[in-house]
Amino acid sequence: MAITDTTFITRSLTARLFSTVTTIAIVALGVGLMLVLLGMRDAGEAAFRRGKGNMHMLISGPQQDPMVSVLNSVFYAGTPRTPLPWATCQSLAARYPLEWAIPTQLGDSYRGLPVMGTTPEFFTRFQPADGVAWTFAEGQCFAAPFELVVGAEAARVAGLKIGDKINLTHGTPKRGEPGHVHDEFGYHVVGILSPSATLHDRAIFSDLTSAWILHADERRERELGPDAGLTTADELIDSDRKITGVYARVMTREGSGTPAALQQVFDLLRSDPEITVAAPDQEIGKLFKIVSNVDRIIVALAATVLVVGAITIMLVLYQAMEQRRRQIAVLRVLGCSRMRVFGLVVTESAVIGTAGAVAGVLVSLVGSRVVAGELYRRMNLVIDPGLDPRIVLGVVLGTIVLASVAGLVPAISAYRTGVIRNLRPIA
Amino acid sequence: MTTDAALAIENVGFRYPGHDEWLLDIAGFALDRGEQMLLAGRSGMGKSTLLHLVLGLLEPGRGVVRVAGTDIHAIKGARRDHFRGAHIGMIFQTFHLLNGFTAIENVMAAMAFSDIPKAEHRNRARALLDRLDIARQDAMPDRLSVGQQQRVAVARALACDPELVLADEPTASLDPENAGGAMDLIQEICRERGAALLCVSHDPSLVERFGRHESLAELNRARTPQAGDAVGA
Repeated sequence: MAITDTTFITRSLTARLFSTVTTIAIVALGVGLMLVLLGMRDAGEAAFRRGKGNMHMLISGPQQDPMVSVLNSVFYAGTPRTPLPWATCQSLAARYPLEWAIPTQLGDSYRGLPVMGTTPEFFTRFQPADGVAWTFAEGQCFAAPFELVVGAEAARVAGLKIGDKINLTHGTPKRGEPGHVHDEFGYHVVGILSPSATLHDRAIFSDLTSAWILHADERRERELGPDAGLTTADELIDSDRKITGVYARVMTREGSGTPAALQQVFDLLRSDPEITVAAPDQEIGKLFKIVSNVDRIIVALAATVLVVGAITIMLVLYQAMEQRRRQIAVLRVLGCSRMRVFGLVVTESAVIGTAGAVAGVLVSLVGSRVVAGELYRRMNLVIDPGLDPRIVLGVVLGTIVLASVAGLVPAISAYRTGVIRNLRPIA
Repeated sequence: MTTDAALAIENVGFRYPGHDEWLLDIAGFALDRGEQMLLAGRSGMGKSTLLHLVLGLLEPGRGVVRVAGTDIHAIKGARRDHFRGAHIGMIFQTFHLLNGFTAIENVMAAMAFSDIPKAEHRNRARALLDRLDIARQDAMPDRLSVGQQQRVAVARALACDPELVLADEPTASLDPENAGGAMDLIQEICRERGAALLCVSHDPSLVERFGRHESLAELNRARTPQAGDAVGA
């Protein structure tokens, strides 16, 4: 095989293998970081949107921030502060064209896992991810008070199985704090859900009545003292029957995801001072708009790493030029033109950029999977780590252009190499 | 002076920019194809400057330098570089072999900028190195003896079958024992390939090897000849 420009470039790169590999690694890090962040930004939002399932709106107590109520009631981040009377929930279906309105009641926990009081419709009508219905891995839905259905991840984390008897804790105590355990009420696990790849997998579900009894018991103890006895469903009064949210879906024609009346119903509900209505889709959008400001800073940091990579290429090649001036002078005598020398250096820089970009894509593929796995493990967020080919292509091409530009300074230096000065005999 | 000579210097003057005095002022001389000539002179006399003018690396203040009948300074830019690679072979005092390239690759590198078909490069290089008794053709230059390195440098200079070979102090890096053998080889292979050889050196022992030898001190009208300028004369 003849000696070609490729040979000159390859030999130059391998002659200083350590700095070549280090430079490629820096570029790969920048590209990988950039692609992971860009990929995760879109995939993260998609994952959050998935978690709202097939509900159209979330109704909660009055004077709440819609975004906070979505974070509370859909993503189990904190406990809703303002409850909603049960009667309000019952009247919603009658007053508005709702396909279903499923009450939820949050406030208790088990080993840090949220416990949601709800009705069996939660498992039959609400879909945790749009188009994906609940299925039971074991057992069935609760049919009586103090029966529990456990999410797949909650069962795994807490080691729960069918027939287990547990006691719930009032609220969600901070880490290290014991919390108030409702020892007097034992719950039985009767069903374990299949994974839905949403945050609901980390929750435990009971029927509403037992959730109300738990809190009515505290009221009765305050009112009647230690002799109040164990509270039963018959002793519930209206003020005990409170919920923290309602998952609602507007009547929809079959095959249509967004009903024509959605906005109208939403506006009507919004005008009701007794409730707060939130469209989870919009709130997630708003949330990500806020997050995107931080996101931009992180992407800017990744871009800075890329620029640092480009500067490193420039420095490494410039330093190499200083050591290769005699070789350049010899090549010039052998018939190599200034422009060809210039082209060789720019190409060498572009090759480093290309290798870094390709390695960066591989880094991002691995990195995205690691981050996605970690997010699923910690938050049950299903993130599809796939990268948009247009973004990948854009970042790769941008990196190659950046590397080529970085190569201009050493290339100009090589172009201007004085042949005579560098051909003086070596001492 | 023939226009198809391998080298023809015609009333060439050279001075550095900003200087009034000529450093070189040569009325002329020519080297026919296949002819060999020693240009003798002490260090600092301008021997290398003359070679750089012939290579087209320096521009003369006046006059013409023809290589294989072509005024090399009339060609501009990349075309001049290409012309140099195709028509002039250069043997450096300290060889200047390319690091990171094997012996055979150093020879092939000279053909990388020529019009010689790529498929022929390796065979041509191998044949040249065989002729010059380089057995370890895939060895890096620093693994070869000094004498072998010089033979690789000679092979590289002749790789493109140039009409003119320039040798700048070719024996200066060799001990006296090897110097004679090296010069024999350079002269012999240039003769075989019909290449003219212009050897510049301050080594007086080389005079008797060349049928034609000139003193740069005598050729250069810009300087007054001094004692010792005319080597072996």
